[in-house]
This record gives sequence, structure tokens and C-alpha cells, in this order.
Amino acid sequence: MRTVTASSALRAVPASGGASGRLEFARVSKHFGPDSVEALQGIDLACHPGEFVVVVGPSGCGKSTLLAIAAGMTAASEGTVSLDGRVIRTPGPDRTMVFQEHALFPWLTAAQNVGFGLQMTGVPRTEREDRVTAALRMVRLQNAAAKLPHELSGGMRQRVAIARALVMEPAVLLMDEPFSALDAQTRTLLHAQLQELWCAARKTVLFVTHSVGEAVRLADRIVVLHTNPGRIRREVQVPLPHPRNFDSRDISDIVALVRGEIADEVNRVNAELDADLV
Amino acid sequence: MSTPSSTPTWSRRRTSGLRVLAVWLALLAAWEGAYRIIGWRPWLFPAPSHVLDATLAMLGVKTGFGEPLGPRWPLAASAGGSLGGLVSSPLVQALAISAVRLALGFAISLVLGTILGLLMWRYPFADAALGPAFLGLQTLPSVVWVPLAILVFGIRESGIMFVLVMGSFFAIAIALRDGLRQSPPILRQAALMLGARRWKLYRHVVLPAGLPAVAGSLRQGFSFAWRSLMGAELIFVLQRRGLGFLLNVGREFADVAQVVAVMLIMVLIGMTVDRLLFARLELRVRERFGLA
Repeated sequence: MRTVTASSALRAVPASGGASGRLEFARVSKHFGPDSVEALQGIDLACHPGEFVVVVGPSGCGKSTLLAIAAGMTAASEGTVSLDGRVIRTPGPDRTMVFQEHALFPWLTAAQNVGFGLQMTGVPRTEREDRVTAALRMVRLQNAAAKLPHELSGGMRQRVAIARALVMEPAVLLMDEPFSALDAQTRTLLHAQLQELWCAARKTVLFVTHSVGEAVRLADRIVVLHTNPGRIRREVQVPLPHPRNFDSRDISDIVALVRGEIADEVNRVNAELDADLV
Repeated sequence: MSTPSSTPTWSRRRTSGLRVLAVWLALLAAWEGAYRIIGWRPWLFPAPSHVLDATLAMLGVKTGFGEPLGPRWPLAASAGGSLGGLVSSPLVQALAISAVRLALGFAISLVLGTILGLLMWRYPFADAALGPAFLGLQTLPSVVWVPLAILVFGIRESGIMFVLVMGSFFAIAIALRDGLRQSPPILRQAALMLGARRWKLYRHVVLPAGLPAVAGSLRQGFSFAWRSLMGAELIFVLQRRGLGFLLNVGREFADVAQVVAVMLIMVLIGMTVDRLLFARLELRVRERFGLA
């Protein structure tokens, strides 16, 4: 039932142009200032078209920086990120992002927020209205079209942000801990909705979170990052079919596996800190 | 706002308003009463009734509220005055002249302040060069500009304009710069991501994001402009006589009641314009942004 609603809404959105959505990091490093520890070191990562990749790691491991580089908002110190073979240098509507804190324009209504990018890129008014309506219906907010962001709940705001990102028909959707500020119930609801949207649209998604549970629910592949310097520690495939039953045994097994990886990592960092103190 | 639930707030606001009014009426009554019982001399310090007489006299109506109570109270001992002279009365004339000066000077101030505020916000170099100086100049009382204005522009309208603009535009520039700095950088990033470029970015994001700042700087600028104008008019004696001039007339004729009356009018005008125009504008913008 849910899937039907989402896919029919998505069909109202015209299909995206040629972009296939292969996002590739090649030897990407980032350091802030000459003497500082590298936030990211030699990251090699390829997100395949239509793949849902989730990056997890302890806080401060540079996972948000990774996303900012892919978005073109931060420049890599070394290496390149490319989308379908073209090197990324600036932000653009082919790589839209959902931020951790909702970054909706507070003076625009939900509908105007969703339509903003279409307006900026010169989409004609009638087409714009159709696409905005479809996108809002997709996140089930058609009744909140005229509301201002501060009149919406946190979960609704993030759904508007998702609609605003998806309406641009990006080749890649970037998500920077989009649900971390929400309560657990709302988060589960949004996980289900995101699954459903992704099943219908099959966009490449690069998703960053510190929550292993969230990663296993959503990902095709989980990338575990190291801290100090930020390096890829391990990649875990999640071979479960979508849409997933979040309460299944398989999910909790994989969660335990990935948690172990991160625990090792946290222990290693703590041990290093202790050694420094001695 | 028009929901039934807002009705109690309204009536509560009205009762608190009435209470404030009652306190002030009691104070005025006590002042007037003390005056009549102790018998202070009106040329040393006026009673509320004298101030009322002086105000009405400036409007071309002669009254005698300050006279001893008698059968002809509150008519003036010397009859005279008619409502027909209202428009040509000194107070109305002065208000009109001051209003025109204020509107013109404030407009110039806004243009200058906006340009320089934007420059300081956009270019760190401009801010480093001008910011501290502007902050310093903003603390200067506006009448300090008067001698310079007289020497450079002479005793003319342009001299008054100079004092008004100097007294207000620094504050506008600083308030605008500070306000724009508060607009969250994440909105800029979101706009870039959604394809907003160059002037579109300014027109659709930077400018609207700065609206609360603009509203705040307008309000700040107006209060500075108003104070500067009154100061300048007090000193510049020109053919066209503004409200500040009436204060000076009161002093020259040793008419204490008129001096107090003009001061009260200044307070009332400053407060009314701020409340009715700028505070409301600021509140509207803040409500729209979910900040109020």
C-alpha cells in the first residue's frame, strides 16, 4: 500500500536526464591547516548507480567532511571526487543534500522551499507547480504546502528538506545525519518512508550517520570510518532485500557485527589517548 | 490572531493599559494639586495645566486651564484664537517642516548606511578599515557635528541634513552589518546546492535572510535620525522653523510651559512612530521567520 502511493507520486516527476549517478572518491585527503591531523586520508570509495551507501564512524572521524567534499562545499586537500566521470568542484543541483539541521528557508512556505531550486534553475511555473505538488505528496505533506517551516514539526521539516532535494532529480542524494535530531519514533517512521522513496526512485544515496542501527536498516553497503586520521576501516555488505523489516533477526545480527567494529575503533582511540597520558 | 482564544489576551491588555493610564492621571493630578495648594510660580516650573495651555496656544487656540478656578475657567482671560488657524499655527507648521526634513535626511542616511553596511559585511577589508571608526563615530553625540556643519555648509538646510545624516547613518551601517552576519551560512550553502548563483543568490537568499537585520537597522536608524534632527533644529535658526526651533523660542521668551510642552511632543512623536511603524515592522518580520 505504502509503496504504491510513493511510486505513483514519483511517476508524476519526469524521469531524470542521462545522469547515472556513479560517485567516485579517488585518493581523497583533507586536512585543516598545515600541521593538523588529517581529517580524511586516502579515501577510495565508489558508490554505484542506485546504490545506498551509508558511512558510519565515531564522531570526529571526518564523515561529514566527506559529504561536504562530495557536495562541492569543501575542497579536498588531495585527490578528487567525480560524478559520472566529471570532477566535482562546486555545489550543484545534480548532488542535493539533506542537512542535519533543517536548512529550509524560514521565510518561505513548505511549497516555496520545495520549488526554490526549480525556480533558480529556470523551470517554468506550471511545470514547477506540478513537480512541487508531486514531491510534497511523495513525502505526504500535501496538506502542509502553505505552512512556514517554524509551523512544522522537526520530522515534517526534514521531510520537506527531502522533498526539496529530490524534486531536483539529482544524480546523487547526499544525507548528513538527517534524522539525528529527531525522536526515535519519528526516526523509524522516516526510515520507512525513505526506504519506500528510494525503492521507487533508485537514486544513488550517500548517507552519513553515527547510528549503526540506522545504517543497517537503510544501507546496501556500510563503510566504517577510522578516526585520526580518517580512513576506511572496513566495508560491510548488507545483503538483505528492500523494503526491510526493521525488526528482523538478520538486521540485529549485522548491527552487532558493525557495532563490534566501531567498539574496536573506539577502544583503540581510547588506548592511544591513555598511552599519551602516561 | 482572530481566534476566540485570543480574546482574553486582548481584554487583559486593555485592563493593564487602563491601569497604566490611571497611574499617570493620578501622578498628574497630584502634581497639579500640589501646584495649586503650595502655589509655585508658573514661570519657574509649570503645572500640567500650563503645559496644556502652551500646547494649545502653539496650535493657535488660547485657553486658560492654568488660571485659578473661577466661573470662566478654562476660557482664556484674553479671548481669542480660532480653529481656523490650526493649519497655520506654529506647531503644525513646525511638525510639517520637521517631518519633511526627517523623511529626506533619513532616506539619505538609509541609502548611505545600507551601502556601507553591505560593504563592511561583504568585504573583511572594508570592515577592518571602516568598522572601528564607524563604531566610534556612532558614539559621538550628534550635536557635536553642528560646528563642523555650520563651518562647511553654513546656516542652511544642507547643514541640518549633514547633522542628521552623520548622526544616524553609522548606526544603520553597523546594525545592518551585524544583523547580516547572524544569517546562518547553511542557508547560503543550501541555496548554492539548489542552483542559486550570483545575483539570484543575493536576491532570493542573502537579502531575505537579512530582513530581520534590515528591520532592526531601520528602527535603530530612525531613533538616531530623530534625535539628531531635534538637536540640529535647536541650534540652526533658519527661515523654516521646525519643532526644535519651537523649543528655542520657549527658552528665549522664558516660557517654561512651552519648553516642557515641546519636549513632551518630541517624546510622543518619537515613541509613536517607533511603536506604530518600526516596532511593528520588526515584529512582522520576526513572526514570519518564526523568531518572535
